[in-house]
Amino acid sequence: MSETLFNPVDYAVPAFILLIILEMLWVRNYAPEKYEPRDTLTSLALGTGSTVAGALFGGTMLAIAMWGYDYRITTIPWTWWAWIACFVLDDFFYYVFHRSAHRVRWFWAAHVNHHSSQHYNLSTALRQTWTGFFAFTFLFRLPLVFIGFDPAMILFVGAINLIYQFWIHTEAINKFPRWFEYIMNTPSHHRVHHATNPRYLDRNYAGVFIIWDRMFGTFTEEIEDEKIRYGIVKQLGTFNLLWSVFHEWAGIARDIWSAPWKHKFSYAWRPPGWSHDGSRDTSDMIRQRWLDRQHEQPAE
Amino acid sequence: MTPLVITLLKLGGSILAILFLAWLARLLGLGGDVRIRSEEQARAIADEIISGFDPVGIAIDRAGMGALMRDARGRHLLIRRHGAHFAGRLLDNHSETRLDQNFLTVGTGERTFGRVTLNLGKEAQYWASGLRHLNI
Repeated sequence: MSETLFNPVDYAVPAFILLIILEMLWVRNYAPEKYEPRDTLTSLALGTGSTVAGALFGGTMLAIAMWGYDYRITTIPWTWWAWIACFVLDDFFYYVFHRSAHRVRWFWAAHVNHHSSQHYNLSTALRQTWTGFFAFTFLFRLPLVFIGFDPAMILFVGAINLIYQFWIHTEAINKFPRWFEYIMNTPSHHRVHHATNPRYLDRNYAGVFIIWDRMFGTFTEEIEDEKIRYGIVKQLGTFNLLWSVFHEWAGIARDIWSAPWKHKFSYAWRPPGWSHDGSRDTSDMIRQRWLDRQHEQPAE
Repeated sequence: MTPLVITLLKLGGSILAILFLAWLARLLGLGGDVRIRSEEQARAIADEIISGFDPVGIAIDRAGMGALMRDARGRHLLIRRHGAHFAGRLLDNHSETRLDQNFLTVGTGERTFGRVTLNLGKEAQYWASGLRHLNI
């Protein structure tokens, strides 16, 4: 690498803590059920555990990135426009990763941690995976390395992307001016992403720029008069930290073990909820049935 | 300081911070005391748990901590409080049922979800019978 950069997340952590405290004080009188101490503890422990996982596997991921950098098609210089290009492209590849993380069960097994809280507050933002390395999610950033962006630059903009996504995990902010909501990912757009309401399932995958969802047909606007329910389709029903981390991996193992041979690996690469005998529901099936019910209801 | 020491210090700081925040959430009384107070609310919760679940029979725990519901297809849904929200499971013929006068204890077979004991009053026996004859 040509440069060594600091990790901006280290400097953001005090701000994260302060903002969580402010949000807790805000909900105290307005809606105390927006926070739940055990849920908060689980979310924050997941966040801390993910930094430990990052420390354990970060070296391997960096080594893979450096290997890829040796095969780059060009060398992008350290100029102002390179930073902008890297940030925008990194956000695009984040969109690709995030969409895959919801549509492929193997990736979902690592990402589900972030969605398994029934709450939506700033502590939910820190609910990060411990098992991303095993889901190979770092591979989604490799195209940037092959293009010729320095891995240090990619890591830095990736950290900025992560910091941006912290503040959008809140119900304290309703909506921003239309131009901002059109371009940027906002609390409103991301509430949709965390919702389990059938109309909202698997929508708004964006990290920083919501334009990716608008471009690729995965955008849905938040509707004012529909209460949002957060979490996952089959709520965990426990605050057990280890079960929160590993439950989907355990589910994959159980399904692969018990499925007929020709269906075994479908339980890893098909969408969450897929089953060879149709006994479970994917998000597409839930949404379709919901849409069918809407059409069956007589017009007022 | 070596990188390992710095990492360990960061980890220690993070653990202290999360313990402080969880303590603060408890100190502020966050979480509330959610209960099921009406059939209408129970229906809404059922629809949240299984989209489109339309109960034709509802039994709510006397303290509002959970409920049992049955739809027209004979599916039985168990819901219980989970923190400041509710979680539920569809029951099948492997579900464990134990009746003790007005109290019905239902196990889903999921260790992490646990058993749920509902005070259903005189309805407990009726629901226990229904659960023992599940053919799903």
